[in-house]
Amino acid sequence: MATDTDPAPAPATTDVEHDYHPEHLQHHFVSSEQQFDSAKLGMWLFLITEVLLFSGMFVAYAVYRQWHPETFAAASQTLDPVFGTVNTLVLLTSSLTVALSIHYIQHDEVKKCVYNLLATVGLAAVFMGIKYVEYMSKFEHGVFPGGFFDPHGAHYEFLAQVPYASQFFSIYFVMTGIHGLHVLIGMGVIAWVAYYAWKGAFSSEYYTHIELAGLYWHLVDIVWIFLFPMLYLI
Amino acid sequence: MADDGHPHVLHKPTLFKVFGALIVLTIITVAVAYLPLGPLAMPVAIAVASTKASLVVLFFMALKDDNPVNGLTFTIGTIMVSVFIAFTLFDTAFRGDLGNVSSQTIEEIEKEQEEAQEQQIDPENLRVAPADYPDQQGATSETGSEN
Repeated sequence: MATDTDPAPAPATTDVEHDYHPEHLQHHFVSSEQQFDSAKLGMWLFLITEVLLFSGMFVAYAVYRQWHPETFAAASQTLDPVFGTVNTLVLLTSSLTVALSIHYIQHDEVKKCVYNLLATVGLAAVFMGIKYVEYMSKFEHGVFPGGFFDPHGAHYEFLAQVPYASQFFSIYFVMTGIHGLHVLIGMGVIAWVAYYAWKGAFSSEYYTHIELAGLYWHLVDIVWIFLFPMLYLI
Repeated sequence: MADDGHPHVLHKPTLFKVFGALIVLTIITVAVAYLPLGPLAMPVAIAVASTKASLVVLFFMALKDDNPVNGLTFTIGTIMVSVFIAFTLFDTAFRGDLGNVSSQTIEEIEKEQEEAQEQQIDPENLRVAPADYPDQQGATSETGSEN
């Protein structure tokens, strides 16, 4: 994708833009700029549907917490805030690396962009690893969602005496489970984008895929920013 | 399209500053959770989390310098989320409060009434006049409903 024209950001250059027709520009768009903005608006609309998906679960959390505040306070004691804090830091860092990858592709530094994308995938894997350890320690002690709730073992026995404790864990598993699913999908998407970036598909002229993957990843981070204090801390 | 100074370009020092702020806010999140805030714990936690989310949205997702239509999309969506949460709580948090002076919820009262209907009525309870039960004063008060 050679850039012999230097696109000046003014409406007067519409003709120049029109004659200049890079490979990635689909014919139904006036300019790369317009194509990029359309894709981005589409992504924001998708992100809002994601926000609404999660908000349903946040409503469930709010309603049940308001009905049984003592249960939620007691049951959340069994979640380890150290794991939660580390995972928060891991996801925040992965948000930084994905933002950096966009910064680098905007400056045509493809290698650095790819490294940052791979770092994001790596950090996401760390997040899922920690989540796996957490889930397993719960399953070992019979802390399952819904009707399978049968807590036993030193730190979990008291949950059997706490009324509605299974409600907290149903909400915990569904919220973190669907969030975890989003992390897995994000890992796949970012790895795929990194592969194409490595093959030279993107440049400062055309990096829509990286931008959109980044937006998605930041949303996953935002959901966790809310889940962390609500489930682990209070 | 991405020459320097273009509004879409992410500024590296800004990204690191925002990241630093997010780390500090995470520490604050954990710290305030150990303060005895009582009923304020949840609002404080949500406020800190919202601040963090705003930083991510404005700087990492670059909504600050983005096409305003994206910001509009996001803002309308978040307003809908607050309506969703607030209006659901208006219902669930105050169930049984209106026209009900007992501590039971409407659900519990209805259940009780259903159970009462299913019960076999003792012929003794059908006596109404004081003359009907000369030997057991006040026996009906137990089965009489408050509603």
